[in-house]
Amino acid sequence: MNTARQALTLGAIALTTIMALSGCTSRNDAAPSGASASGDKITVAFVPKLQGIPYFEAMNAGGKAAADELGIEWLYQGPTTADAAAQADIVRSFIQQGVDALIVAPNDPDSMAPLLKEAADKGIKVAPADTDAPNSVREVFVNQASVEGIGEALTDSLLTAMGGKGDYAIVSCGETAANLNAWIDVQKKYTASKYPDANIVSVVYAGEDQAAATSMATDLMNANPNLTGLVGECTSSAPGVAQAVKDAGKIGTVFTTGLGTPMSMAPYLKDGSSIASILWNVQNLGYLTAWTGQQLAEGKTFAATNNVSSDLPSVEFDSASKTLLLGPALVITKDNVDTFSY
Amino acid sequence: MTTETTTVRPTARRILPPPVTGQEFVLTGVIVALWVLLGVFTPAFLTPGSIQPLLVSVAPIALIGVGMTFIIITAGIDVSVGGAIMLCAVITAKMMVTANLPLPLAVGLSIAAGLLLGLVNGVLIAYGRVHAIIITFGTANLFQFFALRVFGSETVNGIPGTLDVFGRGEAGRTLGVPHSFAIMIVIAAIAWWYLRHTTGGRHLFAIGGNANAARLAGIRVQPRVMVAYAVTGALVGLAACFFIAAGTSTLDQAVGSGRELAVIAAVVIGGTSILGGRGSVIGTVLGAILVQTVTSGVTQLGWPSQLATLFVGVFIIIAVGTDLLRQRVRAQP
Repeated sequence: MNTARQALTLGAIALTTIMALSGCTSRNDAAPSGASASGDKITVAFVPKLQGIPYFEAMNAGGKAAADELGIEWLYQGPTTADAAAQADIVRSFIQQGVDALIVAPNDPDSMAPLLKEAADKGIKVAPADTDAPNSVREVFVNQASVEGIGEALTDSLLTAMGGKGDYAIVSCGETAANLNAWIDVQKKYTASKYPDANIVSVVYAGEDQAAATSMATDLMNANPNLTGLVGECTSSAPGVAQAVKDAGKIGTVFTTGLGTPMSMAPYLKDGSSIASILWNVQNLGYLTAWTGQQLAEGKTFAATNNVSSDLPSVEFDSASKTLLLGPALVITKDNVDTFSY
Repeated sequence: MTTETTTVRPTARRILPPPVTGQEFVLTGVIVALWVLLGVFTPAFLTPGSIQPLLVSVAPIALIGVGMTFIIITAGIDVSVGGAIMLCAVITAKMMVTANLPLPLAVGLSIAAGLLLGLVNGVLIAYGRVHAIIITFGTANLFQFFALRVFGSETVNGIPGTLDVFGRGEAGRTLGVPHSFAIMIVIAAIAWWYLRHTTGGRHLFAIGGNANAARLAGIRVQPRVMVAYAVTGALVGLAACFFIAAGTSTLDQAVGSGRELAVIAAVVIGGTSILGGRGSVIGTVLGAILVQTVTSGVTQLGWPSQLATLFVGVFIIIAVGTDLLRQRVRAQP
């Protein structure tokens, strides 16, 4: 009896260990293999904030496409949670592998800065993409859209639907997310100056949680009967606010807009619960990221306007802020939503 | 809240706690007071359009809370329910998109998946005799890993409206009552009856009170403990359907994340002792309603979102503090 129980215990522990180990190896399989950077090809490594979400997978697709066309090697690995420490480990491993260019979308720009310096000291070219690390040794920042471009496009698309007036509310995500907060600032100022009859009644934070965003949007509509607009500030709250409007049967009386990926927004754009989704071409951003890595690794400098590819004929470089700008914001509506595959 | 100590009288024919405990009266009072106050300050709060979505949000948390109450009564805990929700939800959502499963099959699949995960926990804890928090912490990560594998680096898009019957919209209600909430109440009622009036239910309390004493008294401890985890798993499976229904037509990897803490918070605020041996399903349902009321209330009042977190934290500390105080009072001669 006792031995049987011991055997069972051991079996249970062994099973758990095997499962855990197989988990680890599988994860490592996804890591870049043979990334010794010993070939003649330039290796460009990109570390997203989070692996496995459509946004960064679309960037990865763009990066891969660029690598094929430009003849470079593209490495892509990120943490499974948006965690600065886990991301730092991946960055360190790329530094050890001695890649030629290392591009990061930092979860925490400040804690990433010393790591980027460490990489630069070892002769690796470093740059942030998607989210800036302003206090770092970066040579360039690959910027998807200007803060003003996003904030104004969000405001314009929503207020056009609202008839230029009325109350609206914002469902944001992380309370400390610098880019979201910057957009919200622009939305507040731009609304006050261009649409004096419109009013932002509330800004709430749902985290990266669709369900929380949906129920907060519902609460906002209940608390403010005059509310005619909602903004979902990130890719989880944009479909969330649209779903809330749909559930409440308020399509056509409450309008929504937000930063949503095309495939997640398609059903809502089609049934009218969302007016428009503001984003940028994420695949092109991935392409530009890979191209930037190659330019840096080859020691080239950027011109005021750069011909990157047929899709990106004139990418502007601002030498004062050392920023490459992908272009104006992309407005996704029911008419063009089906042309995107992410 | 401490009046409960006087209510356990050995003079009763059967030594049962009263059907509704003091803590549950207090919780009901707090919820009623909050609803009245919110009704005064934001008149829209006490309207069907506000209460119905609130109950829809309560349903999955309270439903898993019923199972978690069983587990915590046995002095165990299950921190893997977040990962289990994620795995059940992604499997079900993916099958709904690819195979267009009808409603009974989708729910059945999700419950079966949840039951299997619960059994894994139950077997490891009951027969492996390792502490529950360690096992479930491990399986939480395993479930998450498998779920991420099923996601395959993509969200599940275009989920059909099959599960709308559990959702926030018009299809999710009959006579104004959300289906998901009604199902939860029925299951909670059965669980309440089971815990109070069946031998199996009383055994769970005995195990949580003192597992060795229970074993010596002839209770088959291991199967009982295993069943508590398996039942929780099955409830997680059903709750995963509620989560899909209350979400959008896209499922992302944030589903289930942090829910284990929301569930445990509801159980603890509901007066179930984290040390085991005492607790009730009614309290858990009330705890879930209280947490959601605070969250919705903070948003509807236009207060900063982080205040909801503060209030829930304070409630947990008050509830656990009351419980420990009560234990101490009881331990004194």
